[in-house]
Amino acid sequence: MYSSVHLALPRPEKLQRDLSVGTAWLVVLATIAGAAEPIHGYEIARRLADEAPAGLSFKQGTLYPMLRALEADGLVRSTLVPSCEGPARKCFTLTADGHRVLDAWTATWRSTRTWIDRVLGGIDAR
Amino acid sequence: MHGDDPQPSGGTDPRQQVMRYIAAFEAELAGCDPALRHDAVIDAETHLRSAIDGGVPVERAIEDFGTPQEVARAYLEQDSEAYGWRSSGRGAPDHVASEGATSATRGDASAALPAGSAAPQLSPKRSLASRIPIIGIWLDPRAWGALVYFGGVGFALSVAYFVWSVTIGSLVIGLAPLVIGIPLLVLLLGSARALCLVEGKVVETLLGVRMPRRVQPVEGADSVGFWQRILCWLRDVRSWLSLAYLLGNFFVSIGTFALTITLCAVSVALVAAGIASLLGMSPILIGDGSEQVTVHLLWWRLEPDASGALHMPRAAAIPMIALGLALATATLWLMRGLGWIYGHVVQAIQVARPHAAGAPPRAAHSQATAPAAG
Repeated sequence: MYSSVHLALPRPEKLQRDLSVGTAWLVVLATIAGAAEPIHGYEIARRLADEAPAGLSFKQGTLYPMLRALEADGLVRSTLVPSCEGPARKCFTLTADGHRVLDAWTATWRSTRTWIDRVLGGIDAR
Repeated sequence: MHGDDPQPSGGTDPRQQVMRYIAAFEAELAGCDPALRHDAVIDAETHLRSAIDGGVPVERAIEDFGTPQEVARAYLEQDSEAYGWRSSGRGAPDHVASEGATSATRGDASAALPAGSAAPQLSPKRSLASRIPIIGIWLDPRAWGALVYFGGVGFALSVAYFVWSVTIGSLVIGLAPLVIGIPLLVLLLGSARALCLVEGKVVETLLGVRMPRRVQPVEGADSVGFWQRILCWLRDVRSWLSLAYLLGNFFVSIGTFALTITLCAVSVALVAAGIASLLGMSPILIGDGSEQVTVHLLWWRLEPDASGALHMPRAAAIPMIALGLALATATLWLMRGLGWIYGHVVQAIQVARPHAAGAPPRAAHSQATAPAAG
């Protein structure tokens, strides 16, 4: 009995994972938009890893199918940029559609965050 | 977990470790679309090499990248839903934002960026063409695309490729004793690669066979001297495959062009003759009337009148139209089948890899997954 109740409780990692799943596309688009120049896949992964909260690790290889889908949908555009260190790299920039979607997602995120902060405010007030 | 395995990374060349990982990754992607597999492998190779060049230890780079299973699953999940956004309202913010919200219920316990998390949940949709047996081919865009390709575009391009290849190839052979023949040979091989990529885009558009999005660089050609670079180009199997395609494609396309035009012409002629007969647009004049010609049309025997004109019986009109339509339908099926074969040949050339990827897949698999899983 105790065991089944215990297993049904969500673990702290689950919240972190669910949040990451829901916001993954947003942070990838935002990272591309925030780059001063066209940015390649490894650099996106590195920046995401650097800025990730403690305890959160993501598999960088899963970034590439996302970039592929974003490009197929016209939200990002890629160009091959010659590199001094090796083969030409595929670098990404946001398209006009990508900026539009990023704005919409950002607005959604901010309103969600405001709502959650308001709800959590009730706990702080006690 | 891997107690029986030797430590996979210790003391081995990072490049070999990457290639073992790639081999395991390819094994995980076995059976999926070759163009997708090709792109995924180049993504992984480029990423891991960038990480290693940036000073990240190879074990750490592989661990951060994810196990072959994790990454392969992300590609496969994404691929199954990849075109959802485009097909259901391209980039519409409300649509895409709501997908992001609903996707939070899905996920992967081991990855914080699971691919496919925001892709829409589309049920597989069967096209109208596939729902109607046999005559549904008339509504199949791939069949019409193949007709356009084999009936004109492909032939015209193949002539252009052939003329270019033969011209430069002749110069290469003629100037081979001189030094200038070598750069010309590289130009020929390079242009063959580029033309094959162009051909790939045309084939993808008209024949509906997906081509890779990533171009695999010539192995070693970015980091060595001029002559070694030329040697790399000469040793790259895709250079020669591309050239062989451009030369061989000319003869194949002559055959397919002739076949396509003949079948189309006969189909159209049968249908047009039947309609003309129904509209009373007979007679058919054969010769100048000086000879008596008897024509057997299906099961009718047509005798010329005194002026040498043949009158097609009205009863023959409907069978002729039916025969013409049946032939046209068969032609469309043939075009679609040829297009599938042709497209996959071009795809095979574009996804060809110039070197074997490291150790045998099974051995490589256990080794490459160990650091990522640990």
